[in-house]
Amino acid sequence: MAVIQAPPLARPEPVGRRLLVWLTTTDHKKIGILYLINSLGFLVVGGILALLMRTELARPGTQFLSLHAYNQVFTEHGTLMIFLFIFPTLAGFGNYFVPLQIGALDMAFPRVNALSFWLLPAGGLTILSGFLVKGGAAAAGWTSFAPLSVQGRSGQDLWILGLAIVGTSSILGGINFIVTILRMRAPGMTMLRMPAFTWSVLATSLLVVLATPVLTAGLIMLFADRHLGTVFFDASRGGSALLWQNVFWFFGHPEVYMLILVAWGIVSEVLPVFSGKPLYGYRGVVLAFLLITALSFTVWAHHMFVTGAVELPFFSVTTEIISIPTGVLFFNWLATLWKGKLRFEPPMLFALGFIAMFLIGGIDGVWMASPAMDFAIHDTYWVVAHIHYVLFGGTVFGIMAGLYYWFPKMSGRFLSRKLGIWQFWIQVVGFNLTFFPMHILGLRGMPRRIADYPPNQGWTGLNTLATIGSYVIGIAIVLFFLNVFLSLRKPKDAPADAWGSGNSLEWATSSPPPAHNFDTLPEVRSGRPVYDQRASRQGLVRGESPA
Amino acid sequence: MSSTRPRRWLILIGAVACLPLTGCAERPATTQGVYIHLLYFIILTLALVVFVGVEGMLLYSIIRYRRRAGDDSEPPQRYGSTRSIALFFLIGAALVAILFPYGEQVLALVQQKPTPIETINIQGSQWQWSAVYPNEGIATSGKSFVRSLVIDVPIGEPVHIHLISNDVMHELFVPNFFFMRNAMPGFANDFTWTPTRLGTFNGQCAEFCGLGHARMTLVVRVVTDEAFLAWVQQQREALLKLTCPPTSGNSLHVTAKDISWNTNCLAVFPGEPVSLAVTNLDAGIDHNFAIWNGVDQKHQFFATGKFSGVATNSFTIATLPPGKYYFQCNVHGPAMSGVFIVGSPKRGGG
Repeated sequence: MAVIQAPPLARPEPVGRRLLVWLTTTDHKKIGILYLINSLGFLVVGGILALLMRTELARPGTQFLSLHAYNQVFTEHGTLMIFLFIFPTLAGFGNYFVPLQIGALDMAFPRVNALSFWLLPAGGLTILSGFLVKGGAAAAGWTSFAPLSVQGRSGQDLWILGLAIVGTSSILGGINFIVTILRMRAPGMTMLRMPAFTWSVLATSLLVVLATPVLTAGLIMLFADRHLGTVFFDASRGGSALLWQNVFWFFGHPEVYMLILVAWGIVSEVLPVFSGKPLYGYRGVVLAFLLITALSFTVWAHHMFVTGAVELPFFSVTTEIISIPTGVLFFNWLATLWKGKLRFEPPMLFALGFIAMFLIGGIDGVWMASPAMDFAIHDTYWVVAHIHYVLFGGTVFGIMAGLYYWFPKMSGRFLSRKLGIWQFWIQVVGFNLTFFPMHILGLRGMPRRIADYPPNQGWTGLNTLATIGSYVIGIAIVLFFLNVFLSLRKPKDAPADAWGSGNSLEWATSSPPPAHNFDTLPEVRSGRPVYDQRASRQGLVRGESPA
Repeated sequence: MSSTRPRRWLILIGAVACLPLTGCAERPATTQGVYIHLLYFIILTLALVVFVGVEGMLLYSIIRYRRRAGDDSEPPQRYGSTRSIALFFLIGAALVAILFPYGEQVLALVQQKPTPIETINIQGSQWQWSAVYPNEGIATSGKSFVRSLVIDVPIGEPVHIHLISNDVMHELFVPNFFFMRNAMPGFANDFTWTPTRLGTFNGQCAEFCGLGHARMTLVVRVVTDEAFLAWVQQQREALLKLTCPPTSGNSLHVTAKDISWNTNCLAVFPGEPVSLAVTNLDAGIDHNFAIWNGVDQKHQFFATGKFSGVATNSFTIATLPPGKYYFQCNVHGPAMSGVFIVGSPKRGGG
């Protein structure tokens, strides 16, 4: 990006050359932006698949998606959104901002970093290419329960291969983050001075490194059952159908926290900046992150209460216990707002929206943590509502907060405030119209993952409402892309401390930062080096003498 | 009057509570369902307290602590105390301490296994449900894409369900019973329904099981004892009436297509082995052919291996004593079944 700021006499670089720079870059900032662009691309694909599903479900009867088409569409929607939109978006933020926040020059292994990025589009396109082969794409759900996933045709193999590639990308990225955070911190940046966002990336990376290899092992077993004559999941020949679920959810529940921890980190950055206060109970937040990281390995079988084959009380109590540190986060966020001076810029709106919506997702998880209750609502639309309140109302609102918050740092330009506010309110309305009715559909007994439903069940009206809501979400997302497009045409005018109230080190360097990140690094004497810098500069004006 | 104020409060709370409850339109139809329904309300009460508390504080902060125009002063910089963080942990722990024991109590009630009056073996297969009443010797089934399984259960009695699958994971779900449970290959599930309300209750498969998942439905009719006995009688008579002439040369050819046999009745002459050809026209789907003593499936006399279509395989069935047997595809159970008669009642013909 520094190239563009070159003196006016220099000739602009030819397009081909600039493209080559991006294709071969090992700069964590460029890689971070590549992550975000790639992820937003998959958001568009996954979103279109979601709209196809909602359109089909608006009325009973199969209107334009056959049963088999619908099954492929919901499988690919879940897979892409989880593995190729949400997670890589968070990893993209991590790539761009972790080195900046800890005052490092780059990631520990820049070339490995480039490799982890380039594996993503490769894996994603491998999964998507299922739509081109005979028999279509994978159609066993993003959870691909065996033995159903042993039956599928070659689309299922592409799913396995693609996901293994994406998993490899995550593992490489996770190791890179851990080493970067442990070894590359600037002088004075002790672990307990690291911003909450960096902590959330560290916690996520630990989960990735410990859990993702388990998924990879499961994928290899599945592939072997399909092609090499093994019987891991074949009960009639000594295998076990439940083995897949144990392996998958041992990865899958930590995965849920991989998808939310970094969003918590983003919200923990945004709220203090727009409240004019430090993050309340920083150490409590860090402790909560670490407790959740550890506990997330003890709850996997709450996805399996209805199998009748797991120890119910143990997994019920661990699931309820993990809600305690999660609750602590809410208290800390609320206490951060308390007696602050709140500024409702778009990042703040999305962070507040995150708290309001993610709370609902957290609460309706409590019903499912009770096994008896779970018997009534598991595998219904209740669970669809729950996961979307967590991953959309939570993570996607957090991602939007992060995009609005850091866009000026990454591009040197602010996103339009006006469009941002419009997007926020349209998104809140659309989101709740789509997903709140799903709670009620679940209580009325509508199972998830059905391509069609009978007209006499009383599910039609709420489904129509949810479909209308999904189009409203579509409008909000279009507004976001419009905002990015329009803002990138404006001149760069963002100062180093873009919001005037930054705390962490990324606000100490120009927007966008130079290739080497910092011309001069401020002294790190607390968890808020940029606040300290500002305070010492303004000390006299404010009449606060540093005694 | 001082008493009107609390009453107004109660009405308000009731109205707020009713909002999400309007969704809970299903009324429980089993004893177990009643317990779970109650648990739903207990959790709802706790959830509403948390919801109103957190969203209320959020709204209050947004309104009360918005920065006023022209106010550039710095708010108090509070970093939080260890004591308050400890308190935050304790609040959550207290909620769990209420929730968990109560949930366990309800779980114990739901999982009680009283001595059953009725036993039904339910089998899920791609993509229909089938049911065997081993004590009554009757079997009934739905058919892929065509019709739902319809089963009758008597009201007021504990009904023991033995649930299995021989292909992929399925899940038996009857919303009014507030209950779902996986039907799994290689692991049978046993549980009890005690229906408390007469009526017809729809259910369907809730674990995604492939192409026909959305169409894998069933209907449970909770009926009086008399109606139940009459239904059993009718099913039995239908089974007894089923007969057919023996095949010449004891050479049988059965064909499986769309998860159905081409016949529900096979007959052979006694005292001679039978040559059997099985054609499976269902591409990618496993079938086999098995002969049992009856629908209660106490003894299996003959079974071929499973094989997937499209293929034809030949087998020989050793001589069986004269009598009426039951045949099925073990993967799909009563969904692909019929009677197998050795020794015709009217021996004759070629």
